[in-house]
Amino acid sequence: MQKLLVILISLALYTLTASAVDATLKIEKDVEQRTRIAIVDGSAMQDQRIFNMFLSDFKVSGHFLADKAHNKGDIASSFLLPNIKNSEYVLKYALTQKNGSKLLIRLFKTSDASQVFKKSYAIPSKAKVPFLIHKAVSDVNKVLKYPDISWINRYVVYSTYTTPGLSEIRLADYTFNYRKTIIKGGLNLFPKWANEKQRHLYYTSYNGTVPTLYKLDIYTGSKNKIISSEGMLVCSDVSRDGSKILLTMAPYGQADIYELNVATGTKIRVTKFKGIDVNGRYTDNEQRVLFVSNRLGYANVFKKSLRSAATSQVVYHGRNNNACDASGDKIVYASRESNNAFGRNTFNIYLSSASSGDTRPITTTGSNQFPRFSRDGAVVLFLKQRGNRTSVGYTNLASFQSLLFPYNGNKIQSIDW
Amino acid sequence: MTQKLFIISTFAALLFSGCAQSAPDLTGKNNVSGTDAISGDTVSINENNYGNESGMDANGNYNSSSDGFKSVYFSFGDYAISPSMEANMNTNIQVATSAGAKIKIEGNCDEFGTDEYNYALGLKRAKAVKDSLIAQGIASSKMIMVSFGESSPVCQSPSDSCYDRNRRVDLRLVR
Repeated sequence: MQKLLVILISLALYTLTASAVDATLKIEKDVEQRTRIAIVDGSAMQDQRIFNMFLSDFKVSGHFLADKAHNKGDIASSFLLPNIKNSEYVLKYALTQKNGSKLLIRLFKTSDASQVFKKSYAIPSKAKVPFLIHKAVSDVNKVLKYPDISWINRYVVYSTYTTPGLSEIRLADYTFNYRKTIIKGGLNLFPKWANEKQRHLYYTSYNGTVPTLYKLDIYTGSKNKIISSEGMLVCSDVSRDGSKILLTMAPYGQADIYELNVATGTKIRVTKFKGIDVNGRYTDNEQRVLFVSNRLGYANVFKKSLRSAATSQVVYHGRNNNACDASGDKIVYASRESNNAFGRNTFNIYLSSASSGDTRPITTTGSNQFPRFSRDGAVVLFLKQRGNRTSVGYTNLASFQSLLFPYNGNKIQSIDW
Repeated sequence: MTQKLFIISTFAALLFSGCAQSAPDLTGKNNVSGTDAISGDTVSINENNYGNESGMDANGNYNSSSDGFKSVYFSFGDYAISPSMEANMNTNIQVATSAGAKIKIEGNCDEFGTDEYNYALGLKRAKAVKDSLIAQGIASSKMIMVSFGESSPVCQSPSDSCYDRNRRVDLRLVR
């Protein structure tokens, strides 16, 4: 009887622990395994926001335990204050913002005060300072030979509703400290990066009679019409080499998934279900497509070969899994866990495998949607709505560390990075 | 003791400052700029040629159906036309029969859905209305469907009646 009681208590404790995944900052990785680093601000004009950006970059990497103290010191000096010598490394930085932005960093090993690395960064824009900081932290991470975190350098592109029937497409850094509108006027939706270098993006314009997909060069503004479709049209995924794209379109009045060869214009219809098939994502080395379908009477995640009719259910959990993403063998999906017709529902993000079916929650509270893998599959982006607060969340799948950045803006329609 | 500590501290400070390296000049030749990928200036495009096609009137207010058509409303997550919409559909059949231009059928959803699935749900609603019109003899080639998902609410207050009004299909003539 006592044994049974012990087992029940253990199970209850395990359940409580498992449900605590979604703290603002969750640390599963042993803290002692991470490198302690102190940050010293050597700027003439010291800014807490800049320091906080360094701090959050180190946190989200999963490789560093950054000292939260905003230390000040001389960048030119190699002298390290005694109070920061508990850290293994010290990063000194100086930011100047005259005629653009310039950032100098020096990395010291505290044990012998030796300089490990120094680098300067300069860009003509003042607004893009967050990118300088991300680049500096990813370089420090690289110098210390940790797994790559260059995803923090990438642009996030998102569409946001401004008023009914109108939207804008904007760029941001991953923390949303930098934001810039690149397309405004009309209803332009579903932006998707067209290539790894993030020079071009696809988006759907609703400014004509039917939705039309364009490919835009974000540096020159030149754009090409790719395809139009009655009903709806979304570029859901782009192949690794950028030559093919997966579309959700409805030339026959039903949302189905198509693969389009961008160079030749050749199009194949991947799904032919008389219900809803959307959200196609390449998986299994681009031999198959992961997608969301209501073929069982509710939204769920399925997988289908590009070359044959074989279709299989991938997720066996939840009764409304309406969005998914894939990276290699890994999949993430959003699952609606309430059924409230007159208010906000609970949505959570789950991580699973297309082959093994092992599933674990990434979030457990609030409304969490738009799960998106980083290009290397190491991190999952999602949007969290809790009460009136919206945040952009990132979960590092190796350290299972999550970080939320506040998003103060209009409702996000779609997002890619 | 205090004197000794002061002498040691002063000596240590001098020693460290003597070892200090001068800070590299930001414009010096040994500097590395790793910012090529982010330094370029991106564009800002204004596609302000948006017309009246999705229901915006001249004053910038959003209207529901126009040209004599009546909007058709749906239950949460549903895309079947309910019996309560019979009168609206009868009006739409009459207007469509005599329409001299193509009819645009616009599917819309409430704010609680997101992503592609919500647009597909709006499309299913538009398809339900189109199929109903076809069944009454309206030629398929006379109609065109577009789903606007949750992008075009007619009502934005947080109330049940407001959410009901947004789960709808609007009809209008293509100009």
